[in-house]
Amino acid sequence: METLKTLGRELLERAKVLFEFWKIIVSTAESVLFRFNLGRKATLDVLLKQVYFTAFEALPIISWIALIIGLIIVTQALSILPRLGGEGLIGEILVWVLIRELGPVFASVIVIARSGTAMASELGLMKSSNEVSALEVMGIDPMHYLIAPRVLGTMISVFVLTFYFEAISILGGYLLAGFGKNIAFSVFVDSIMQAMGFVEVSVSLLKSLLFGLIIGTVSSYYGLRVKRSITEIPQATTKAVMGSLRLVFVTDAVITILFFI
Amino acid sequence: MGTLVDIKSVSCYNEAGRPLFEDASLSFSGGERVLIIAPVASGKSVLIRMLAGLSMPDKGTVRVFGEDIASLTKDGLNKLRQRMGFVFHDSVLISNLKVIENVALPLIYHRAALSYEDAMQKAARLLEGTGFRGDLWGLPGMLPLYAKKEIALARALVLRPEIIVCENLWDGLTDTEKTGLSSLLLQYHKSNPGGLLVFTALSDADAPHVRPHRVIRIEGCMISEELRA
Repeated sequence: METLKTLGRELLERAKVLFEFWKIIVSTAESVLFRFNLGRKATLDVLLKQVYFTAFEALPIISWIALIIGLIIVTQALSILPRLGGEGLIGEILVWVLIRELGPVFASVIVIARSGTAMASELGLMKSSNEVSALEVMGIDPMHYLIAPRVLGTMISVFVLTFYFEAISILGGYLLAGFGKNIAFSVFVDSIMQAMGFVEVSVSLLKSLLFGLIIGTVSSYYGLRVKRSITEIPQATTKAVMGSLRLVFVTDAVITILFFI
Repeated sequence: MGTLVDIKSVSCYNEAGRPLFEDASLSFSGGERVLIIAPVASGKSVLIRMLAGLSMPDKGTVRVFGEDIASLTKDGLNKLRQRMGFVFHDSVLISNLKVIENVALPLIYHRAALSYEDAMQKAARLLEGTGFRGDLWGLPGMLPLYAKKEIALARALVLRPEIIVCENLWDGLTDTEKTGLSSLLLQYHKSNPGGLLVFTALSDADAPHVRPHRVIRIEGCMISEELRA
């Protein structure tokens, strides 16, 4: 009985947190769709800074991770496929692995590590030092000025980084491994273009936007949950990372099952 | 002058449920300078934060500009707050914004018709008016306390508010600095005769040269008032 009660309490607690995530998503949608003119210059500035930090400054790390992943996958594929008599499947393998799965997931994991942590700790610090209250007394809605541009900026960034990751890993994979195996670039590209359909691109796009929404929402939620003590900030950051990872992987599994089973 | 703030039968309790003050009724009109004196953790911050809707009364009503703050929507409260300037006791500047951006933020956010350059110029003029001599384009984090208070004051004045609330403005300042900030506020108040100026302090001695019209004291859950010439 006691176990059931504990389980019930735990489930209720999780449901409450999910409801808080939902409130942030609704408030962001409301800001973007219906209040975009309110404090436009100020919120646009926050949005641009978020995209600059999350997407632009992440390009070097994304580039070399994408190159290495591309190299590993192309090398593995080229070492296994000839033994199975499927040399022509290199395009399919790359599209299945990189575009359907690894592109959105790797871009998200890097954004969680760099920007999710930064967002949660920055908002936590702002909350604990009363900066959020300072915005409120200026008549500035923190959800509109602080949260909506961060969530939207994270969505845009994960979207851009996903496609960048996919392009670099495919091209890098060819340059580093395919080139050595004497595969013509046009054959390589043709093979990928044939394997890449509308569904592959749409699913990659959908995943990247949803993962960005999750990272922005979860990181903002845990950042804003900090109260007065700065010792809560590292805890909030850890919870933001774990919460984002958990939700990104669950959403990834759900979308994959829905589209590809 | 009309009533700007009307507090009726208000009671507030701390987190432990102990009353900070009970059944308090006060009203403040335009043109008044009010000093609220109370020991630490006795409810003066709660009282003044209620004016901006940052905290709500446990009982009673608080009307600001004729509006009951408890019944206002988020947008209504934000509109009301634009008519009010608030200086927190620890200044509370936005740490990732430059000094000038801190002051210009309310203008950039609320005055869509004003260009970015005009907002920055206005902010620079206000900062100059408060006597701020630091780097306008630096971050405020490492600035001395007095400079932070000057910036917070400029930010509170930037939308030309009708009510200015200063929470423990003089804490941690030297006597010269205290006098400097007080003179600035009095000067602003003189140029806006319909406005209301509310200060909080630990004692009379902490509030130099503000020449209040009324002194409100909170002690042992009781609020008493003294009128001054």
